[in-house]
Amino acid sequence: MTSPARSLAGRALLVGALFLTGSLGGCGVLPPLPEPVPSDIVPSAPPDLSPAAGGGALSPDGFDAVERMAVRIRNVGCEELSTGSGFAVDDHTLITNKHVVADSKELEVSTYDGHDITVGATATAGLADLAVVRTTDPLPSFPELAKTDPKPGDPVTVVGYPAGGELTVTEGKVMSTTRDPLNANLGEVLLTDAPVEPGSSGSAALDDKGRVIGVVYAKTADDNSLLVPLSTLQDMLADDTAFTPAKGC
Amino acid sequence: MTEALAVATPAPAPAPGRGRGSRVLAILLVATIAVGAYLWVTTVRWQRNSAEWEEKAHEYAEEVASLQMQLDGANSELAAARDQLSTATARITDLANEKAQLGDENVASQQYLDYQTQVSGAAATVASALGQCVSGQEQLVGYLKDSDQYEAADLRRYERQVNALCADAERANDSLQQELRP
Repeated sequence: MTSPARSLAGRALLVGALFLTGSLGGCGVLPPLPEPVPSDIVPSAPPDLSPAAGGGALSPDGFDAVERMAVRIRNVGCEELSTGSGFAVDDHTLITNKHVVADSKELEVSTYDGHDITVGATATAGLADLAVVRTTDPLPSFPELAKTDPKPGDPVTVVGYPAGGELTVTEGKVMSTTRDPLNANLGEVLLTDAPVEPGSSGSAALDDKGRVIGVVYAKTADDNSLLVPLSTLQDMLADDTAFTPAKGC
Repeated sequence: MTEALAVATPAPAPAPGRGRGSRVLAILLVATIAVGAYLWVTTVRWQRNSAEWEEKAHEYAEEVASLQMQLDGANSELAAARDQLSTATARITDLANEKAQLGDENVASQQYLDYQTQVSGAAATVASALGQCVSGQEQLVGYLKDSDQYEAADLRRYERQVNALCADAERANDSLQQELRP
Protein backbone atom coordinates (compact mmCIF):
# COMPACT_ATOMS: atom_id res chain seq x y z
CA MET A 1 0.00 0.00 0.00
CA THR A 2 1.40 3.59 -1.00
CA SER A 3 2.03 6.08 1.71
CA PRO A 4 0.12 9.34 1.02
CA ALA A 5 2.95 11.39 2.55
CA ARG A 6 5.60 9.98 0.19
CA SER A 7 3.37 10.47 -2.85
CA LEU A 8 2.86 14.10 -1.93
CA ALA A 9 6.61 14.68 -1.51
CA GLY A 10 7.31 13.16 -4.93
CA ARG A 11 4.80 15.44 -6.63
CA ALA A 12 6.21 18.47 -4.88
CA LEU A 13 9.73 17.53 -6.00
CA LEU A 14 8.57 17.15 -9.60
CA VAL A 15 6.74 20.45 -9.58
CA GLY A 16 9.77 22.13 -7.95
CA ALA A 17 12.13 20.78 -10.59
CA LEU A 18 9.90 21.93 -13.44
CA PHE A 19 9.43 25.30 -11.75
CA LEU A 20 13.20 25.69 -11.28
CA THR A 21 13.89 24.85 -14.92
CA GLY A 22 11.22 27.23 -16.13
CA SER A 23 12.46 30.00 -13.85
CA LEU A 24 16.05 29.66 -14.97
CA GLY A 25 15.13 30.04 -18.60
CA GLY A 26 12.10 32.28 -18.47
CA CYS A 27 13.17 34.80 -15.86
CA GLY A 28 16.54 35.59 -17.36
CA VAL A 29 18.84 33.70 -15.02
CA LEU A 30 20.10 31.74 -17.95
CA PRO A 31 22.02 34.06 -20.35
CA PRO A 32 20.36 34.60 -23.71
CA LEU A 33 22.13 33.74 -26.91
CA PRO A 34 24.04 36.72 -28.33
CA GLU A 35 22.73 38.78 -31.20
CA PRO A 36 24.78 38.47 -34.38
CA VAL A 37 27.49 41.14 -34.71
CA PRO A 38 26.28 43.84 -37.14
CA SER A 39 28.38 44.42 -40.22
CA ASP A 40 28.52 48.23 -39.73
CA ILE A 41 28.05 50.11 -36.46
CA VAL A 42 29.02 53.58 -37.72
CA PRO A 43 26.00 55.94 -37.54
CA SER A 44 25.08 57.56 -40.84
CA ALA A 45 25.32 61.11 -39.40
CA PRO A 46 26.46 62.10 -35.92
CA PRO A 47 23.43 63.78 -34.36
CA ASP A 48 25.28 66.70 -32.74
CA LEU A 49 27.99 67.34 -35.29
CA SER A 50 27.49 69.01 -38.64
CA PRO A 51 30.16 70.00 -41.16
CA ALA A 52 28.44 73.36 -41.57
CA ALA A 53 28.30 74.12 -37.85
CA GLY A 54 29.54 77.66 -37.28
CA GLY A 55 29.97 78.27 -40.99
CA GLY A 56 27.60 81.21 -40.96
CA ALA A 57 30.02 83.24 -38.89
CA LEU A 58 32.82 82.86 -41.41
CA SER A 59 33.86 85.93 -43.37
CA PRO A 60 34.34 85.55 -47.11
CA ASP A 61 37.76 87.18 -46.95
CA GLY A 62 38.95 86.99 -43.35
CA PHE A 63 37.71 90.45 -42.33
CA ASP A 64 35.13 90.91 -39.59
CA ALA A 65 31.67 92.17 -40.49
CA VAL A 66 32.34 95.34 -38.47
CA GLU A 67 35.39 96.06 -40.63
CA ARG A 68 33.61 95.30 -43.88
CA MET A 69 30.87 97.87 -43.32
CA ALA A 70 33.21 100.78 -42.49
CA VAL A 71 34.24 103.24 -45.21
CA ARG A 72 36.80 106.01 -45.46
CA ILE A 73 35.51 109.31 -46.85
CA ARG A 74 37.80 111.82 -48.53
CA ASN A 75 36.21 115.25 -48.84
CA VAL A 76 37.89 117.11 -51.68
CA GLY A 77 36.92 120.70 -51.05
CA CYS A 78 37.56 123.68 -53.29
CA GLU A 79 40.62 124.64 -51.29
CA GLU A 80 41.05 121.99 -48.60
CA LEU A 81 41.21 118.25 -48.19
CA SER A 82 39.74 116.43 -45.18
CA THR A 83 38.97 112.83 -44.28
CA GLY A 84 36.30 111.16 -42.22
CA SER A 85 34.61 107.84 -41.64
CA GLY A 86 31.22 106.36 -42.40
CA PHE A 87 29.34 103.09 -42.40
CA ALA A 88 26.78 101.32 -44.54
CA VAL A 89 23.18 100.89 -43.47
CA ASP A 90 22.11 99.12 -46.64
CA ASP A 91 23.53 98.12 -50.02
CA HIS A 92 23.75 101.67 -51.35
CA THR A 93 23.47 103.99 -48.34
CA LEU A 94 26.14 105.37 -46.06
CA ILE A 95 25.77 107.28 -42.81
CA THR A 96 28.35 109.83 -41.75
CA ASN A 97 28.53 113.28 -40.17
CA LYS A 98 27.34 116.48 -41.78
CA HIS A 99 30.66 118.16 -41.07
CA VAL A 100 32.49 115.32 -42.86
CA VAL A 101 30.76 116.09 -46.17
CA ALA A 102 30.43 119.87 -45.75
CA ASP A 103 31.88 122.29 -48.34
CA SER A 104 32.67 119.49 -50.71
CA LYS A 105 33.57 119.63 -54.37
CA GLU A 106 33.85 115.86 -54.56
CA LEU A 107 33.50 112.92 -52.14
CA GLU A 108 35.73 109.89 -52.57
CA VAL A 109 34.74 106.74 -50.65
CA SER A 110 36.86 103.63 -50.20
CA THR A 111 36.24 100.36 -48.38
CA TYR A 112 38.27 98.34 -45.87
CA ASP A 113 40.16 96.61 -48.71
CA GLY A 114 40.91 99.75 -50.69
CA HIS A 115 38.13 99.49 -53.26
CA ASP A 116 36.75 102.81 -54.44
CA ILE A 117 32.99 103.28 -54.25
CA THR A 118 31.27 105.64 -56.67
CA VAL A 119 29.18 108.19 -54.82
CA GLY A 120 25.80 109.52 -55.90
CA ALA A 121 23.72 112.08 -54.02
CA THR A 122 24.56 113.43 -50.58
CA ALA A 123 22.05 114.83 -48.11
CA THR A 124 22.61 116.45 -44.71
CA ALA A 125 20.36 116.73 -41.68
CA GLY A 126 19.34 120.10 -40.36
CA LEU A 127 18.95 119.19 -36.69
CA ALA A 128 21.80 116.74 -36.18
CA ASP A 129 25.38 116.23 -37.29
CA LEU A 130 24.33 113.50 -39.69
CA ALA A 131 24.53 112.98 -43.43
CA VAL A 132 23.32 110.31 -45.83
CA VAL A 133 25.45 109.41 -48.85
CA ARG A 134 23.94 107.30 -51.62
CA THR A 135 26.38 105.16 -53.56
CA THR A 136 26.17 103.85 -57.10
CA ASP A 137 28.36 100.85 -56.35
CA PRO A 138 27.08 98.27 -53.87
CA LEU A 139 28.60 98.29 -50.40
CA PRO A 140 30.22 95.08 -49.12
CA SER A 141 28.35 94.74 -45.82
CA PHE A 142 26.05 96.61 -43.51
CA PRO A 143 25.19 96.12 -39.83
CA GLU A 144 21.87 95.82 -38.05
CA LEU A 145 20.59 98.74 -36.02
CA ALA A 146 20.08 98.10 -32.29
CA LYS A 147 16.57 98.20 -30.83
CA THR A 148 17.16 100.91 -28.24
CA ASP A 149 19.76 103.43 -27.14
CA PRO A 150 22.51 102.01 -24.90
CA LYS A 151 22.62 102.56 -21.16
CA PRO A 152 25.57 103.85 -19.12
CA GLY A 153 28.04 101.02 -18.61
CA ASP A 154 27.18 99.23 -21.85
CA PRO A 155 30.19 98.28 -23.99
CA VAL A 156 30.80 100.22 -27.20
CA THR A 157 33.02 99.47 -30.18
CA VAL A 158 34.03 102.20 -32.64
CA VAL A 159 35.13 101.27 -36.17
CA GLY A 160 36.64 103.97 -38.34
CA TYR A 161 39.67 105.70 -39.79
CA PRO A 162 41.17 107.94 -37.06
CA ALA A 163 43.41 110.67 -38.48
CA GLY A 164 42.68 109.34 -41.96
CA GLY A 165 44.93 106.35 -41.27
CA GLU A 166 44.34 102.62 -41.07
CA LEU A 167 40.98 101.07 -40.35
CA THR A 168 40.93 100.87 -36.54
CA VAL A 169 38.64 99.25 -33.99
CA THR A 170 38.58 100.78 -30.50
CA GLU A 171 36.50 99.81 -27.49
CA GLY A 172 35.09 101.50 -24.43
CA LYS A 173 31.93 101.94 -22.41
CA VAL A 174 29.01 104.31 -22.51
CA MET A 175 29.53 106.81 -19.69
CA SER A 176 26.39 108.94 -19.72
CA THR A 177 24.03 111.02 -21.79
CA THR A 178 24.68 114.75 -21.98
CA ARG A 179 23.66 117.95 -23.71
CA ASP A 180 25.58 118.47 -26.94
CA PRO A 181 28.45 120.81 -26.03
CA LEU A 182 28.84 121.75 -29.71
CA ASN A 183 25.14 122.50 -30.18
CA ALA A 184 25.25 120.51 -33.39
CA ASN A 185 22.49 118.13 -32.37
CA LEU A 186 19.01 118.58 -31.07
CA GLY A 187 18.48 116.65 -27.84
CA GLU A 188 20.94 114.64 -25.80
CA VAL A 189 24.01 112.83 -27.05
CA LEU A 190 26.04 109.92 -25.67
CA LEU A 191 29.38 110.29 -23.92
CA THR A 192 31.74 107.29 -24.12
CA ASP A 193 35.37 106.59 -23.24
CA ALA A 194 36.09 104.82 -26.55
CA PRO A 195 39.17 106.53 -28.03
CA VAL A 196 38.61 108.53 -31.22
CA GLU A 197 40.63 111.04 -33.23
CA PRO A 198 39.89 113.62 -35.88
CA GLY A 199 38.98 111.49 -38.87
CA SER A 200 36.89 109.15 -36.72
CA SER A 201 33.89 111.39 -37.28
CA GLY A 202 31.10 109.39 -38.88
CA SER A 203 32.34 106.09 -37.44
CA ALA A 204 29.76 103.54 -36.38
CA ALA A 205 29.50 102.88 -32.64
CA LEU A 206 28.41 99.28 -32.07
CA ASP A 207 27.16 97.27 -29.11
CA ASP A 208 28.55 93.90 -28.06
CA LYS A 209 26.41 92.19 -30.70
CA GLY A 210 27.74 94.34 -33.54
CA ARG A 211 24.56 96.44 -33.81
CA VAL A 212 24.71 100.19 -34.37
CA ILE A 213 24.01 102.25 -31.25
CA GLY A 214 25.29 105.63 -32.42
CA VAL A 215 27.48 107.70 -34.73
CA VAL A 216 30.74 109.29 -33.54
CA TYR A 217 30.80 113.03 -34.21
CA ALA A 218 33.26 114.67 -31.82
CA LYS A 219 36.02 114.23 -29.28
CA THR A 220 36.01 116.03 -25.95
CA ALA A 221 38.96 117.87 -24.39
CA ASP A 222 39.42 115.00 -21.91
CA ASP A 223 39.75 112.40 -24.70
CA ASN A 224 36.23 111.02 -24.49
CA SER A 225 34.00 110.65 -27.50
CA LEU A 226 30.56 111.99 -28.30
CA LEU A 227 27.97 109.99 -30.24
CA VAL A 228 24.78 110.90 -32.00
CA PRO A 229 22.48 108.32 -30.37
CA LEU A 230 20.68 105.64 -32.34
CA SER A 231 17.27 107.12 -31.51
CA THR A 232 18.22 110.41 -33.18
CA LEU A 233 19.54 108.57 -36.24
CA GLN A 234 16.34 106.53 -36.50
CA ASP A 235 14.15 109.62 -36.07
CA MET A 236 16.06 111.39 -38.83
CA LEU A 237 15.95 108.42 -41.19
CA ALA A 238 12.21 108.04 -40.61
CA ASP A 239 11.55 111.71 -41.38
CA ASP A 240 11.48 112.39 -45.13
CA THR A 241 12.11 116.08 -44.59
CA ALA A 242 15.02 115.68 -42.18
CA PHE A 243 17.67 115.49 -44.88
CA THR A 244 18.20 118.04 -47.63
CA PRO A 245 20.66 117.87 -50.54
CA ALA A 246 24.14 118.93 -49.48
CA LYS A 247 25.55 122.17 -50.85
CA GLY A 248 28.99 121.93 -52.35
CA CYS A 249 31.65 124.56 -52.11
CA MET B 1 -6.63 -27.15 0.64
CA THR B 2 -2.85 -26.92 0.25
CA GLU B 3 -3.10 -26.44 -3.54
CA ALA B 4 -5.53 -23.65 -3.20
CA LEU B 5 -3.19 -21.83 -0.85
CA ALA B 6 -0.20 -22.15 -3.33
CA VAL B 7 -2.18 -20.63 -6.21
CA ALA B 8 -3.50 -17.70 -4.19
CA THR B 9 -0.06 -16.30 -3.16
CA PRO B 10 0.94 -13.32 -5.52
CA ALA B 11 4.48 -12.07 -6.32
CA PRO B 12 5.50 -9.07 -4.28
CA ALA B 13 4.69 -5.80 -6.20
CA PRO B 14 7.32 -3.01 -6.43
CA ALA B 15 6.81 -0.20 -4.00
CA PRO B 16 4.95 2.66 -5.81
CA GLY B 17 6.85 5.48 -3.93
CA ARG B 18 10.29 4.27 -5.04
CA GLY B 19 9.28 4.18 -8.78
CA ARG B 20 7.92 7.67 -8.70
CA GLY B 21 11.14 8.99 -7.05
CA SER B 22 13.17 7.43 -9.84
CA ARG B 23 11.08 9.24 -12.44
CA VAL B 24 11.57 12.53 -10.67
CA LEU B 25 15.30 11.97 -10.52
CA ALA B 26 15.31 11.12 -14.22
CA ILE B 27 13.43 14.28 -15.08
CA LEU B 28 15.82 16.33 -12.97
CA LEU B 29 18.77 14.71 -14.68
CA VAL B 30 17.33 15.45 -18.13
CA ALA B 31 16.59 19.04 -17.12
CA THR B 32 20.10 19.48 -15.75
CA ILE B 33 21.60 18.07 -18.92
CA ALA B 34 19.41 20.37 -21.00
CA VAL B 35 20.42 23.42 -18.99
CA GLY B 36 24.07 22.41 -19.19
CA ALA B 37 23.83 21.95 -22.95
CA TYR B 38 22.16 25.32 -23.32
CA LEU B 39 24.89 26.98 -21.23
CA TRP B 40 27.59 25.34 -23.30
CA VAL B 41 26.04 26.52 -26.56
CA THR B 42 25.55 30.01 -25.11
CA THR B 43 29.15 30.18 -23.95
CA VAL B 44 30.46 29.14 -27.35
CA ARG B 45 28.23 31.65 -29.10
CA TRP B 46 29.29 34.48 -26.74
CA GLN B 47 32.94 33.58 -27.21
CA ARG B 48 32.52 33.75 -30.96
CA ASN B 49 30.56 36.97 -30.64
CA SER B 50 33.19 38.48 -28.37
CA ALA B 51 35.94 37.59 -30.83
CA GLU B 52 34.05 39.24 -33.68
CA TRP B 53 33.52 42.40 -31.62
CA GLU B 54 37.17 42.45 -30.67
CA GLU B 55 38.16 42.14 -34.32
CA LYS B 56 35.77 44.95 -35.22
CA ALA B 57 37.13 47.06 -32.34
CA HIS B 58 40.66 46.60 -33.69
CA GLU B 59 39.51 47.66 -37.17
CA TYR B 60 37.87 50.80 -35.81
CA ALA B 61 40.82 51.54 -33.55
CA GLU B 62 43.10 51.47 -36.59
CA GLU B 63 40.66 53.65 -38.48
CA VAL B 64 40.48 56.09 -35.53
CA ALA B 65 44.27 56.23 -35.39
CA SER B 66 44.39 56.94 -39.12
CA LEU B 67 41.67 59.59 -38.88
CA GLN B 68 43.42 61.13 -35.87
CA MET B 69 46.58 61.48 -37.93
CA GLN B 70 44.61 63.02 -40.78
CA LEU B 71 42.89 65.35 -38.30
CA ASP B 72 46.22 66.42 -36.82
CA GLY B 73 47.50 67.10 -40.33
CA ALA B 74 44.34 69.03 -41.24
CA ASN B 75 44.53 71.05 -38.01
CA SER B 76 48.13 71.86 -38.72
CA GLU B 77 47.24 72.99 -42.25
CA LEU B 78 44.29 74.97 -40.87
CA ALA B 79 46.55 76.76 -38.38
CA ALA B 80 48.98 77.59 -41.18
CA ALA B 81 46.11 78.79 -43.39
CA ARG B 82 44.79 80.97 -40.55
CA ASP B 83 48.23 82.50 -40.11
CA GLN B 84 48.44 83.16 -43.84
CA LEU B 85 44.93 84.66 -43.82
CA SER B 86 45.85 86.89 -40.90
CA THR B 87 48.98 88.03 -42.70
CA ALA B 88 47.03 88.57 -45.91
CA THR B 89 44.32 90.64 -44.21
CA ALA B 90 46.95 92.74 -42.43
CA ARG B 91 48.67 93.28 -45.78
CA ILE B 92 45.37 94.21 -47.44
CA THR B 93 44.72 96.73 -44.67
CA ASP B 94 48.22 98.17 -45.13
CA LEU B 95 47.79 98.39 -48.90
CA ALA B 96 44.37 100.01 -48.54
CA ASN B 97 45.88 102.55 -46.18
CA GLU B 98 48.84 103.19 -48.50
CA LYS B 99 46.45 103.67 -51.40
CA ALA B 100 44.35 106.08 -49.33
CA GLN B 101 47.41 108.07 -48.27
CA LEU B 102 48.66 108.24 -51.86
CA GLY B 103 45.21 109.38 -52.91
CA ASP B 104 45.28 112.09 -50.25
CA GLU B 105 48.74 113.20 -51.37
CA ASN B 106 47.61 113.19 -54.98
CA VAL B 107 44.58 115.34 -54.20
CA ALA B 108 46.66 117.66 -52.01
CA SER B 109 49.25 117.96 -54.79
CA GLN B 110 46.53 118.69 -57.33
CA GLN B 111 45.08 121.35 -55.05
CA TYR B 112 48.55 122.86 -54.58
CA LEU B 113 49.11 122.77 -58.33
CA ASP B 114 45.79 124.51 -58.89
CA TYR B 115 46.80 127.12 -56.34
CA GLN B 116 50.17 127.62 -58.00
CA THR B 117 48.48 127.96 -61.37
CA GLN B 118 46.15 130.60 -59.95
CA VAL B 119 49.11 132.44 -58.37
CA SER B 120 51.08 132.27 -61.61
CA GLY B 121 48.10 133.63 -63.51
CA ALA B 122 47.70 136.43 -60.98
CA ALA B 123 51.43 137.20 -61.17
CA ALA B 124 51.24 137.38 -64.96
CA THR B 125 48.28 139.75 -64.71
CA VAL B 126 50.10 141.94 -62.17
CA ALA B 127 53.23 141.97 -64.30
CA SER B 128 51.21 142.96 -67.35
CA ALA B 129 49.48 145.75 -65.40
CA LEU B 130 52.81 147.04 -64.10
CA GLY B 131 54.17 146.89 -67.64
CA GLN B 132 51.24 148.93 -68.90
CA CYS B 133 51.86 151.36 -66.05
CA VAL B 134 55.51 151.74 -67.05
CA SER B 135 54.58 152.14 -70.72
CA GLY B 136 52.00 154.75 -69.84
CA GLN B 137 54.45 156.67 -67.70
CA GLU B 138 57.09 156.54 -70.48
CA GLN B 139 54.51 157.78 -72.91
CA LEU B 140 53.55 160.56 -70.50
CA VAL B 141 57.23 161.58 -70.10
CA GLY B 142 57.52 161.76 -73.89
CA TYR B 143 54.38 163.93 -74.10
CA LEU B 144 55.70 166.22 -71.37
CA LYS B 145 58.98 166.70 -73.26
CA ASP B 146 57.00 168.11 -76.15
CA SER B 147 54.30 169.66 -74.01
CA ASP B 148 53.99 172.72 -76.21
CA GLN B 149 52.62 170.51 -78.96
CA TYR B 150 49.74 169.19 -76.79
CA GLU B 151 46.81 170.74 -75.02
CA ALA B 152 47.48 171.07 -71.32
CA ALA B 153 44.03 169.62 -70.52
CA ASP B 154 44.77 166.56 -72.61
CA LEU B 155 48.07 166.03 -70.87
CA ARG B 156 46.43 166.29 -67.41
CA ARG B 157 43.72 163.81 -68.42
CA TYR B 158 46.29 161.36 -69.76
CA GLU B 159 48.34 161.77 -66.56
CA ARG B 160 45.27 160.93 -64.46
CA GLN B 161 44.62 157.84 -66.56
CA VAL B 162 48.23 156.66 -66.24
CA ASN B 163 48.15 157.29 -62.48
CA ALA B 164 44.93 155.32 -62.11
CA LEU B 165 46.38 152.46 -64.15
CA CYS B 166 49.52 152.42 -62.03
CA ALA B 167 47.52 152.60 -58.80
CA ASP B 168 45.49 149.54 -59.87
CA ALA B 169 48.67 147.73 -60.81
CA GLU B 170 50.26 148.55 -57.45
CA ARG B 171 47.20 147.34 -55.53
CA ALA B 172 47.20 144.11 -57.50
CA ASN B 173 50.90 143.70 -56.82
CA ASP B 174 50.38 144.35 -53.08
CA SER B 175 47.63 141.71 -52.98
CA LEU B 176 49.87 139.23 -54.77
CA GLN B 177 52.77 139.90 -52.42
CA GLN B 178 50.48 139.47 -49.43
CA GLU B 179 49.19 136.16 -50.83
CA LEU B 180 52.71 134.90 -51.45
CA ARG B 181 53.91 135.90 -47.99
CA PRO B 182 54.42 132.67 -45.94
